[in-house]
Amino acid sequence: MSMQERDPKLENGPEPTADSDDPSAFLGEITGQVVTVKLNTGIVFTGNLNSVDGYMNIALEGCREYVDGNYRGSLGDTFIRGNNVEYVSRGKSEHLRG
Amino acid sequence: MPTEQVLPLELIDKCVGSKIWVLMNGEFVGKLLGFDDYVNMVLEDVTEIEPGVGKQHLPKLLLNGNNICMMIPGGEGEDVWEE
Repeated sequence: MSMQERDPKLENGPEPTADSDDPSAFLGEITGQVVTVKLNTGIVFTGNLNSVDGYMNIALEGCREYVDGNYRGSLGDTFIRGNNVEYVSRGKSEHLRG
Repeated sequence: MPTEQVLPLELIDKCVGSKIWVLMNGEFVGKLLGFDDYVNMVLEDVTEIEPGVGKQHLPKLLLNGNNICMMIPGGEGEDVWEE
């Protein structure tokens, strides 16, 4: 099953709105783009942002893992549980090597 | 005795559109574009300062509010520790 065909009845957290430059509007703005996700542990992931919900749960396509800024491996399609996320940044971070 | 009380979230609301300095595990300085009830924040033109690692620039990001310790209006965080 492709990541696009999600069950609409799944619980998706607070409903995203797009009225201003608030967090949920930003999430809508960056879906489909390349993003950098940093976890509270300091591990960084980059990839194509497939979807985000109100809990900051994240689905990344073509995910690459970086530890201390160094490339550690390619993970393909990944799900990141939102409670571990420190930030979601647009584009690929300049400090990542490899 | 204070005659006028400013609630914490009112103070942050006044910072929307201007620079802010956020202290958590690391530090972030950038322009505050918006925030929600959890104080998750959208920041633009951000400098991330990681202790023992260095600084890096990030164009725009959504910062999780869960681990925020302190937010300081003005955003002079890059200058305070220099010397």
